[in-house]
Amino acid sequence: MSGTGRTGGTGGASGGGLLRWGAAVGAGLWRSAVLVGLTCLFALVAVPVGWAGSSLVYSWSAGMTAAWPLRALAVFGETLLVVVWVAVAVWTVHPFTSRALAGAARRCAGRWLGLESAVAYREPRPVTRMATGFWWDGQEYHRSEREARRRARVHARFHDPQLHWDGVWMLAASVTVLPVAALPLLALVLGAVLIAGQPLFGAALSAAGLVAAPFAWRVLGPVGRPLLGPVTSTRLGWRVAELEEIRADLTQTQAAELERIERGLHDGAQARLVALGMSMGAAEHLVDSNPEAAKRLLAEARANSAGALAELRALVRGINPPVLVERGLVDAVRALALDAVVEVDVVSRVPARPERPVEAALYFSVAELLTNAVKHAHAERVGVELSYAARTLTATVSDDGTGGAAATPGSGLDGVRRRMAAFGGRLEIDSPVGGPTRITVAVPCELS
Amino acid sequence: MRIVVAEDLFLLRDGMVRLVEAYGHQVVAAVDNGPAALEVLLAHRPDVAIVDVRLPPAFSDEGLQAALTARRAVPGLPVLILSQHVEQLYARELLADGHGGIGYQLKDRVLDAGQFMDAVQRVADGGTALDPTVVAKLLGRPMRADPLAALTERERSVLALMAEGLSNAAIAGRLFLSEGSVSKYTTAIFAKLGLADDQDTNRRVRAVLAYLGAEQGGR
Repeated sequence: MSGTGRTGGTGGASGGGLLRWGAAVGAGLWRSAVLVGLTCLFALVAVPVGWAGSSLVYSWSAGMTAAWPLRALAVFGETLLVVVWVAVAVWTVHPFTSRALAGAARRCAGRWLGLESAVAYREPRPVTRMATGFWWDGQEYHRSEREARRRARVHARFHDPQLHWDGVWMLAASVTVLPVAALPLLALVLGAVLIAGQPLFGAALSAAGLVAAPFAWRVLGPVGRPLLGPVTSTRLGWRVAELEEIRADLTQTQAAELERIERGLHDGAQARLVALGMSMGAAEHLVDSNPEAAKRLLAEARANSAGALAELRALVRGINPPVLVERGLVDAVRALALDAVVEVDVVSRVPARPERPVEAALYFSVAELLTNAVKHAHAERVGVELSYAARTLTATVSDDGTGGAAATPGSGLDGVRRRMAAFGGRLEIDSPVGGPTRITVAVPCELS
Repeated sequence: MRIVVAEDLFLLRDGMVRLVEAYGHQVVAAVDNGPAALEVLLAHRPDVAIVDVRLPPAFSDEGLQAALTARRAVPGLPVLILSQHVEQLYARELLADGHGGIGYQLKDRVLDAGQFMDAVQRVADGGTALDPTVVAKLLGRPMRADPLAALTERERSVLALMAEGLSNAAIAGRLFLSEGSVSKYTTAIFAKLGLADDQDTNRRVRAVLAYLGAEQGGR
């Protein structure tokens, strides 16, 4: 998050250092001036209104002769009136200016501090013609389409939570960013004015302004970070959209999984059991007349039952691997590593078992990554690292293969990404063409 | 032989007891959970125990843990582990103590009563009886330890059958060789793996361990 306007630091030991420091001061002064320009509006409105208002209202009670509580009450009422006037003035300016000024501040924060924040303003609702001939803008009826559209635009513009959030930024900025950013400029100007009368004090003040210039504008960071972002409702809206996508994904994955299991049972074990029943029926029929054939059939039946068992075992492994159930993630990954056709080193720093669903998701992800490393990257050595820190369970799979892995839609890695997304986790791929590859999956979870 | 059976499914336990008794052995205890299995293993010290990996109360690997614990207390206590699935990981853990008297088989093997009882007998005699599936997985692994790379193709297949727990005579039968040439191969294997002369069974177990790489510390 470091800005482009780096300060010169050590000062003028060399000509280059001095030049850099000068550039930083120049940039700082410019940025301070820009910030002052972007945040001074509310103050420019509030101060004259407040000053004029108070000089007017306090004159009313100036000649008042009464007991002091009554006088205090009157002054209090007058102050309240001034506050209301100031608020009304600011509230009048706000809808027309806040969006543009906050947008400009946002661009500055993005350019100077790398503080990118995407926001969304409300779009005007579409207007529809009703059977009665009137136009409906989502709020009320209008005689003409033009009027309805205008009202929809106005409504969207002035009833926008993001606009009011921008207003909050303007308000906060005018009491934080404005004074801090104005400090070096004020010091410089005041110093220049005073230098004629009090040379020492004026020079010191100017110097202080110059020294403060590279730093003052940075107040934009701490104030802008919480206030320049999207309003909560927008953020929640985006999150809902994201969650809806994940849910759709999950539903589909689940359906596909059930279908796979059903097919596995139907074509595999079920068919084998039917064959088993038939062989045994035939053997029963033949046992007296042709014992040799009956024996053959029984041997066949036994082979079929062994086949059914093998198929069920493979199916179970795909649903919930037995080692995972019996031993948990770490040993299950070790077992996976032992069964791999290349050398896989497993290092674990996970002190306890994570929640079961997370465990399964991570296991299948690691299995997929291992398969990729062997099948697609043709790796010879693979390392798996499991760790748990800051309530996040992380698995890193690195290999010395050909690299170039990417989560293209429909790929295995895309499947891993979705599996992780379902648990609020993430997938990070570092795989330059030519290798080596390092892929990290991380899920937030609790250990049991 | 005096045999202990630990299996949670009634049908399988009952069937196992009947099978074992049909072959003229005595079942001294048949239990259905992990803690009880450990208790009877230590109390009866059977000639061989047949233990399911997954047992109540937690249905994790209680059976395996009971067997490992009992073997730590009574080194070389013969145990035949049964499971619905076989893992190299478990095989390594079972063999890591180097005492032999270990079997690790798929439950399917019970279907062939003769071969199954053969495996039980081998384990009781202090040998090994690894499931061919597990041995096949081991064969599929990349060669890492140098001494193993020195073995010829034939010696490797002899070693694989040794890992299953077969005797020289049985290996000769499987590979269509004479018993004499098998014993030549085994001598060559022992020499290449640097295993000194001692009791034959123990040396066979250690050859298998070298094969598994389990002597590198197991876990």
